[in-house]
Amino acid sequence: MTLWPRSLAARTAVVLLFTLAAIQVAGLTIDALDRQDLQRLGQIRDVSVQLATLYRAIVQAPRSARDKTLAAIALPPGMHAAIRNQTPFDAGGRLPLAPEPLERAIRVAMYLVRMPPWQRPHQIIMRGGLASERLLVAMRLPGQDGWLTVSTRLARPQPWHSPSFLAAFALMTVAAALLTIWAVRRLIRPVRTLAAAAERLGRDVNAPPLSEDGPTEVATAAAAFNTMAARIRRFVEDRTFLLTAMGHDLRTPITRLKLRAEFIEDEEQRQKFMADLDEIEAMVAATLDFGRAATASEPAAPVDLAMLCQTVLDEAADVRPEAASSLAYAGPAHYTARARIGALKRALGNLVNNAIAYGGGARLTLVPPERGGKAEVARIEIEDDGPGIPPADLERVFQPFQRLEASRNRETGGTGLGLSIARDILRAHGGDVTLSNRAGGGARAIVTLPV
Amino acid sequence: METAQHILVVDDDREIRELLARFLERNRFRVTAVRDAREARRAWPHAHFHLVVLDLMLPGESGLELARWMRSQSDIPIIMLTAMGEDTDRIVGLELGADDYVAKPFNPRELLARIRAVLRRAGEPAVRRETAGAAALCFAGWTLEPARRRLLNPDGVEVALTGGEYDLLLALVERANRVLTRDMLLDLLRGRQAGPFDRAIDVAISRLRRKLDDDGRRAQLIKTVRGGGYVLATSIERR
Repeated sequence: MTLWPRSLAARTAVVLLFTLAAIQVAGLTIDALDRQDLQRLGQIRDVSVQLATLYRAIVQAPRSARDKTLAAIALPPGMHAAIRNQTPFDAGGRLPLAPEPLERAIRVAMYLVRMPPWQRPHQIIMRGGLASERLLVAMRLPGQDGWLTVSTRLARPQPWHSPSFLAAFALMTVAAALLTIWAVRRLIRPVRTLAAAAERLGRDVNAPPLSEDGPTEVATAAAAFNTMAARIRRFVEDRTFLLTAMGHDLRTPITRLKLRAEFIEDEEQRQKFMADLDEIEAMVAATLDFGRAATASEPAAPVDLAMLCQTVLDEAADVRPEAASSLAYAGPAHYTARARIGALKRALGNLVNNAIAYGGGARLTLVPPERGGKAEVARIEIEDDGPGIPPADLERVFQPFQRLEASRNRETGGTGLGLSIARDILRAHGGDVTLSNRAGGGARAIVTLPV
Repeated sequence: METAQHILVVDDDREIRELLARFLERNRFRVTAVRDAREARRAWPHAHFHLVVLDLMLPGESGLELARWMRSQSDIPIIMLTAMGEDTDRIVGLELGADDYVAKPFNPRELLARIRAVLRRAGEPAVRRETAGAAALCFAGWTLEPARRRLLNPDGVEVALTGGEYDLLLALVERANRVLTRDMLLDLLRGRQAGPFDRAIDVAISRLRRKLDDDGRRAQLIKTVRGGGYVLATSIERR
């Protein structure tokens, strides 16, 4: 169902509003029915009093002047009266008998109007009523003076036509809607807070804990969330500590070996020895980076992203002069964004080095967010002309220590951590990195970075 | 030949100490190697050292405290050995006035190149004291922060530099309005880059010009000197 809203707040509000509207309609209906009864009673009272006074005026007039008297009396609109000698009903015969409350009211009215008992009508016949909107009453005058017949129109009560009714309904509905939306938003706020906190934790393990007050359920959820966050934090700290300790302990033996290598007489052996050590050192460095990426303490500051991209390529060219000619930058000369420059440089460097190792080169394109666009996200694409990546491995390669085809990797080296570190760093910036294969062959890394 | 320069090595690992001493002696330095701050203080009055290679992590009194003490005694150049990639140590070390730092595990030849470069710089007395310890060097709107090894553009936005570019720029800034010969620049870049150094200097200079928005054809900041050399043509303000 498309009308059913997505958000919990909207759903709750809709349910409450429908319920409130139903209750209001029911309440107003009861009120209208009551009012209808009141209107009827009023009508009956008015009609009976009118009839009784009319009858008294006629019965107390001299017999000969009765017709003149009747003609002189201003009857209320819709009422017709006549004095007849016989058969009071010739026309209204089809009308049903008048309902009992009406009849009783008219009889009572005859007693309430002051007149001597002998002047009271000897017989009253009634037809019609509220349902037929017409009332015919025949009252027999004392003696053989005939009947006073009255025909009057009875308006059907119209409780819904009260002018205040619609206004009241509209006003109450609007007030109820506003109150409901306000209350629901307040109630739902903890859920939003929780979602925001979960999102924040995903980016930064050291995000401050949620406040554990508010309604019981919310407080419980917040406490559970905080406990979970603390466990994750401890886990990450343990991992970082382990990696850092390992890296630090390896520093001394590697330093010794590098110094020892200087005393190897055979120059070729010495160089190979140093190359091996450099590889070990790079792995240790990557492991330390990986450990540190989760607990980055570097503050974010304005950075020229365009220059950073070019510097990353320059550094790659310094380290691998043979690949320098296949490194290219496309994009603006300057673009300022807030970032942790050291971490971001490491992330982009890993991606560029990956492209060089697997694709023999790297083309880096920086696309700043469109002006006036909705999401302020810069995109950085790093393309190579290598063999690409098997589709099944596009996500797997981001996992720590996962590499493509071990056989080829022996030549290219690497620790299997570069992409993991890059993704950790970019996600800590609120962005991400994904890999895909280009239509023309080769791989493409797409970096998104909120700015 | 002049007398060998005397280097004090302070490192708590016996093997590293001995190997480093042997390595430096083979490269014609005199070396005194000690294991901690106490021994360093004891050796201090008995010799005239030209440079100290100081491990930051020492048992007992830390390398930082020792460096501070040495600084109070003399202007001796100090090269700090720090843990790999620990930015905070690097910053603290440089703020204290260490002349350079080398991360462990270091390449011995790179350390040697740094020692030589620092000693050479120390030989230019006018240069050294002026810049060491300055929090920021401002020129033509740009700000170079030696303690954090970073360059800020006139809008305060950080502009990334490669390690070689940074060293080159610092050397140019330290000697503003003086010509740096290609030999001096080669010294700076040696041990940092693979490939032919000659070309590396041209590449690094052209990149620096690009990053400083200094048009290569009509360079205003980094000017080429005929006969092989470069000069940073601007005044420096120290903060």
